[in-house]
Amino acid sequence: METLFHILAPDFLLRNSVYASLLVGIACPLVGVYLVLRRLVFMGVALPQVSSTGIAIALSLPMWLGLNVSAEQGEGHALPFAGSILFTVAAILLLAFMERRGRGVPEGRLGVSYVVCAALSVLILAKNPHGEMGLLDLLKGEVITISNADLAMTAGALGAVLVAILLFHKELLLVSFDRALAVTLGKRVTFWDVLLYLLIGVTVSMAVLSVGPLIAFGLLLIPALTAHLFASNMRQFMALSVVIGAASSFFGFWLSYTCDLPVGPTDVVLLGAVYAAGWIAARFLK
Amino acid sequence: MNQTLVTLDDLSVGYGGQTVLSGISFSIARGGFTALLGANGTGKSTLLKTILGLQPPIAGRLHLHPNAGGNRPVFGYVPQATQFDPLYLLSGFDVALMGTFGRVRAGSRVPREEKEFAAHCLRATGAEDFARRRFAELSGGQKQRVLIARALASRPDVLVLDEPTAGVDHAATHAVMEFISQVRRDLNIAVLLVTHDFAVVRRHADHVVWLTPGAVLQGTADELMNARKMAEILEMETD
Repeated sequence: METLFHILAPDFLLRNSVYASLLVGIACPLVGVYLVLRRLVFMGVALPQVSSTGIAIALSLPMWLGLNVSAEQGEGHALPFAGSILFTVAAILLLAFMERRGRGVPEGRLGVSYVVCAALSVLILAKNPHGEMGLLDLLKGEVITISNADLAMTAGALGAVLVAILLFHKELLLVSFDRALAVTLGKRVTFWDVLLYLLIGVTVSMAVLSVGPLIAFGLLLIPALTAHLFASNMRQFMALSVVIGAASSFFGFWLSYTCDLPVGPTDVVLLGAVYAAGWIAARFLK
Repeated sequence: MNQTLVTLDDLSVGYGGQTVLSGISFSIARGGFTALLGANGTGKSTLLKTILGLQPPIAGRLHLHPNAGGNRPVFGYVPQATQFDPLYLLSGFDVALMGTFGRVRAGSRVPREEKEFAAHCLRATGAEDFARRRFAELSGGQKQRVLIARALASRPDVLVLDEPTAGVDHAATHAVMEFISQVRRDLNIAVLLVTHDFAVVRRHADHVVWLTPGAVLQGTADELMNARKMAEILEMETD
């Protein structure tokens, strides 16, 4: 309990990491609901990895261009965020376009994207002297310090995602549930699809940058799947997903701090335990 | 003379540049009941998707005439009930309410009068009693009633039904089709029905478009569905 108060104290060194985890714990499950509904769960595996590669490339770019980047300059999130969002959004649009064309094996494409990007991230970091300064920790899911500016950027981006999803929930749901109806009602289906993919892309990018790819995937998938066991309508589905995501993020952080464990794996295992408990409870309730 | 809403003029339809069906010409007029018949693979669904604007025609013209309000005609689309993903936690009311979204601005809440209208459409289709239940858990006939209510909630000029009685028992089929005919008369809307059910076509349709391999036959139900003509058509389909 003492640790809990310590984490919540305003002078806690990693307080920004706690806030960022909470923000990611709220935003990821919300977009995760759409990934689950559209049966794009494997995209949730591949995208965080693609995002990591974007971050690795963005961080290595100055070195490749022969620019002298100091450690202090390297700590900002603007460049990695640009790389992450560029790669993630490009990948999601490309994968969605190929899925719409209906050719080949979608799971195969996602699998190839995942494994190639995972390998590429390691290769790029292995040749980057700044790689050890934070990014490897991030990829492994270790606690990292987040500056006030980076927290503000995370809050701004994820806040915009939340507002857009809540504001346009009606349109995003219609296009996801019944595309044909949306077309006959005169809705601009491609616009809403692209908007949804952009929201997913921004969320994944910010999540990977703040907490790493492992927990980003865990938060995209597990809260939505757990909430689906108990929710009886879409509102409950979304609200419950967010509550599970936010609570798991916070208590996962607390657990990892208390037991001196890496945050990412702790959060994901906690989420897995919540899902297992939920699955058993749902069996008894039905 | 009833107002013409849709005209197909020497239309060719298909996928990815491959023509499935060509040389189709007919009109859909307000108050009319057109049935689209044909064996599997003759292009019924492709033609329907083209008329609804879900895919572009390969050749020819699809003309949508302005409705009474001067806008393009509104299609109230009733797809097959089995195509929906059960993962969506939507009630029958939620699904019917979607029919009103065409009149609600993006980002705005659905106004109360639209919600009441969706509820009215559910009452009219006899779906009120199960409208609060999960759509995915409804029977085939119940889902069809909800989907027809949704189509009516869009205030359509043309009601487009894609095999609405597939997987529905005889009694429910009869009730659904009687209701559709009644709605057509009451609201003076056009109906375009894709079906395999000859009995339904005979009873309700005033214009039949029969897609066969190599020819598109048209006429009234009496002209096309007499024993001699049907034997000819079925022979063409078998060949």
